Amino acid sequence: MSVTLDTPHAPPPRLPAVRWGTAALALAALALAPLFLGNYYLHALIIAMIFLLPAHGLNLILGYTGMLSLAQGVFFGLGAYTSALLAMHFGTPFVVNLFAAAAVAALIALPLGIPALRLRATSFVMCTLGFVVIAQTVAKNWTDLTRGDMGLSGLARPRIGDIVISQIPQYFYLILAVAVLAMLAFIALIRSPAGRCMVAIRDNETLAESLGIPTWTYKLVVFMLSAAFAGLGGSLYAHYETVVSPLVFQMYYSNTILIIVLGGGVGRVPGAIIGSFLFVAVTEALRITPELRLIIYGFVLLLLVFMFPQGLAPLVERGTEWLARLGRKA
Amino acid sequence: MSTRTIVRRALLAACGAAALTAMTALPATAQEVYKIGLVSPLSGANARYGAFANKGANLAAKEINAAGGVQGRKLEFVSGDSQCVPAEGVSATKRMISFDKLPIIIGDICSSVTLAMQPLAEEAGVLLVNAASSNPMITYKAGVGGFKWTFRNYPTDEGRAAIVLEHAVKNRGLKTFAVLSVDSDYGRGAINFTKKYLPRYPDAKILSEDYYKDSETDFRPVLSKIRNSGAQAILMYGQADTTPIVARQMLEMGLAGKVVLVGNGEFNTAKTIAAAPSVLNGSIEAAAWLPEWTSARSQKFVDDYKKAYGGEMPNNHAYTHWETTHLVAAAIKAAASLKPEDVRNALAKIKYDSAMGPVTFDDHHQAVLPMVLLEVADGKPVIRSAIAVKVDYPK
Amino acid sequence: MGSFILEQIVNGVITGSMYALVAAGMTMIFGVLRAINFAHGEYYMLGTFGAWLVISKLDAPYAVSIVAGVAIAALIAALIGRLVMQRLVGAPFQAGVLATIGVSLILQNAVILAFGGGYKVFEGGWIEPVQIGSFGMAQQRIVLVVTALAVFAGLEWMVRKTRMGKAIRAVSQNIECCHVNGIDVESVVRRTFLLGTALAALSGVLTAPVNVSVYGGMGESITLKTFAVIVMGGMGNVRGTLIAGILLGVVEALVSGLIGLQYRDSVGFVALLLMLMFRPHGLFTQKARF
Repeated sequence: MSVTLDTPHAPPPRLPAVRWGTAALALAALALAPLFLGNYYLHALIIAMIFLLPAHGLNLILGYTGMLSLAQGVFFGLGAYTSALLAMHFGTPFVVNLFAAAAVAALIALPLGIPALRLRATSFVMCTLGFVVIAQTVAKNWTDLTRGDMGLSGLARPRIGDIVISQIPQYFYLILAVAVLAMLAFIALIRSPAGRCMVAIRDNETLAESLGIPTWTYKLVVFMLSAAFAGLGGSLYAHYETVVSPLVFQMYYSNTILIIVLGGGVGRVPGAIIGSFLFVAVTEALRITPELRLIIYGFVLLLLVFMFPQGLAPLVERGTEWLARLGRKA
Repeated sequence: MSTRTIVRRALLAACGAAALTAMTALPATAQEVYKIGLVSPLSGANARYGAFANKGANLAAKEINAAGGVQGRKLEFVSGDSQCVPAEGVSATKRMISFDKLPIIIGDICSSVTLAMQPLAEEAGVLLVNAASSNPMITYKAGVGGFKWTFRNYPTDEGRAAIVLEHAVKNRGLKTFAVLSVDSDYGRGAINFTKKYLPRYPDAKILSEDYYKDSETDFRPVLSKIRNSGAQAILMYGQADTTPIVARQMLEMGLAGKVVLVGNGEFNTAKTIAAAPSVLNGSIEAAAWLPEWTSARSQKFVDDYKKAYGGEMPNNHAYTHWETTHLVAAAIKAAASLKPEDVRNALAKIKYDSAMGPVTFDDHHQAVLPMVLLEVADGKPVIRSAIAVKVDYPK
Repeated sequence: MGSFILEQIVNGVITGSMYALVAAGMTMIFGVLRAINFAHGEYYMLGTFGAWLVISKLDAPYAVSIVAGVAIAALIAALIGRLVMQRLVGAPFQAGVLATIGVSLILQNAVILAFGGGYKVFEGGWIEPVQIGSFGMAQQRIVLVVTALAVFAGLEWMVRKTRMGKAIRAVSQNIECCHVNGIDVESVVRRTFLLGTALAALSGVLTAPVNVSVYGGMGESITLKTFAVIVMGGMGNVRGTLIAGILLGVVEALVSGLIGLQYRDSVGFVALLLMLMFRPHGLFTQKARF
């Protein structure tokens, strides 16, 4: 079952099998990665997976309601601070921090989303930008809670039961597990009746409303869910980097998440995945030339916009479709 | 297949191949070279500080190599860009540790990045020497505080704040202060320390407290406020390039000669003073270094730097990274070994002759450095005293 | 207290003129292209760098450097207009976002590569203070305010009376009709982009003497602040940005003076958020188009 409505021809019957097969292969490759790759590559993969979660969230809003949000950075940072503060003050285990981060992010998304979602697309973007700037100001000035610019550093390593995660391979599996679970949740959401309603809203809001779908409620829920995803990512970030400061609200994070989603392919399930691994691959590969790094990165962005406006996911999808057709040709 | 599709696919293939090659490109092995890392912001708004740091460090490397290198090998820097974003700094550091296998890393300028780098260095047994961050946490948690592989060769603001306040109140009789510092851990931290010592001077008080963002250029509103409050001095802990801006705007608002700048922010450089001499005359600063410092070694550094970089004057970050590179080389020499554990142990015990005086490290791996207290008079910095300050660690 | 408030208002008008000038450019570009120029601050930076270059390498007087700075920025903008901005006509909104982020990265870091990342000191400009009533200000400030007003008057005239101005209005309102009427949309987009970025560059050169520090990354904060102004003024509404810019400058000055400088930036964004909650089309536009 395709998750986009614009397939021009009937999909080959074996497509779902091929899709799941490819996904399973990729997952297996990741699971075996620590056996072959050194810490630096594992670190790069970890960063990709940390960004994957807020990217899924943005994919949800942008792909399924058509609103571009720069606020993922806000919820990412909120998740990071929530987890960090809980770990620092109460020594809570990892799982608690993780869910708390998602919950707090979603809760704060509610009062922010209600006024914001009434706006049209461009105004909405500016509104979310405003959230980011204000979040950073709050983080810097509410020093009693956040210690302002001094930041929260030296966070304790995450605990699962009796195991303390401190080595890179351990972190890798932990974050892989969270990412996979989040992805499965994401797919389940999209495939559900609720998901179909969201696609309907994206494609034709008026029609959806006439069918009795409460578009407003859906948009709000989507906003909160995407905040939750971003919060999860922020929690992982806090546990991995062990430092959280107001710098987590820099535009850098919001921009990165946007680039991942647009580069990967909006509204497509593999879009965020492809985008995040691509982003990390490109930015890390470019480290061999520190002076030209960001200039080349800028050109890559322009390339993406003009040569691959739909992102790179359609290419992958065409690849899987081609694979699925292979059998039929015989 | 349309041309566009072909071009797209070719581009994709080319990019993929390039990325793969770049990511897996092995660092060139050369027996005669000893590589160490330098992490600093090379892009974004903070590149303006990272650039100076890199130049200073590379100048030192050249000098060290001209004198025979380290243990007979050429010292070379591998540069990494942190963009002043902790996640990026961590990635750059990770690459240096796991991929380039560098034994020593100097970095970063932004404290948040340094804090994020500490656990990485600790775990990998890589020596991390910081030359520019001011967050006190970096060394509260170093040495006996936890991170054995972190050293900081940069004064903490605790000492700075204490020295400045003492001189301002006791020797200059300034009683009322307005705070105008940079909104970062540096600016806020220094003011926190100032407030910690303020009770020692019962008739001194702070009338207003303002923090400016790093890229601020408009100080008129806050200067109006300060003029209105009647404060005698402005407590300013800020960045080097902001000082001339504030000075010029103080000039245009008629504050020249009426309000004194007190704190730190390269008040002493010729260019800054030239921006508004009447404002800067009388200002008080505690600096880790200044270009006019009279020691022969410091003067030589300034000359060599200008010669190497087209007449550009070195700034504080250039100096600290230059000095720290020489410090690391000295530690290697003292240890007579290139292994990080040996260098680390040598560094902990070292008594290094820097351009500012002798440098040692306390049990938190914080450098005990002389700091210079100076005033600006007649358009020139005048050194009043040089004091080495010990940090008061929290229990 | 009264004179303190008055003084802050004067401060605010000065700063606000600069905001308005930069914002006018961004809002015009938005009007014809429906794209938010994330690289706008970079043209401000390019203008400043151009002027600095001419002064420090060629010993040119400041007045000449104003022209030079704007010219250099305009040249680069013309190139980018043709290669990038023009292709964004009819593209979805996110394409514009991504493309202009890319352009901003390239411009910032190319300048850092070319001139080194270290900050430069801008020498030159009319920085001698004068007294206006009881307020002291550098002569440069007066030049800035007067220029801003002159520019806005000029824009007003251009939009009402000239062919180009009418074409801009047409493209801002309805692109399909423009194609039908034979208006060369791409040409209008290019020329509007040139004008908009030239305004940003002019603003940069005029404030450089009092802002002193010149470095590759200086445009970032300008872009962000300008977003707030164009939303308040009504996106695409040039007149509105003048008032919004000055209003923002004044409120920022009052907040900085009465509460604290550290809250200055949030003023713009709180105002932006309030604006969007209660009057999304901006203070001065009748109905919401975006």
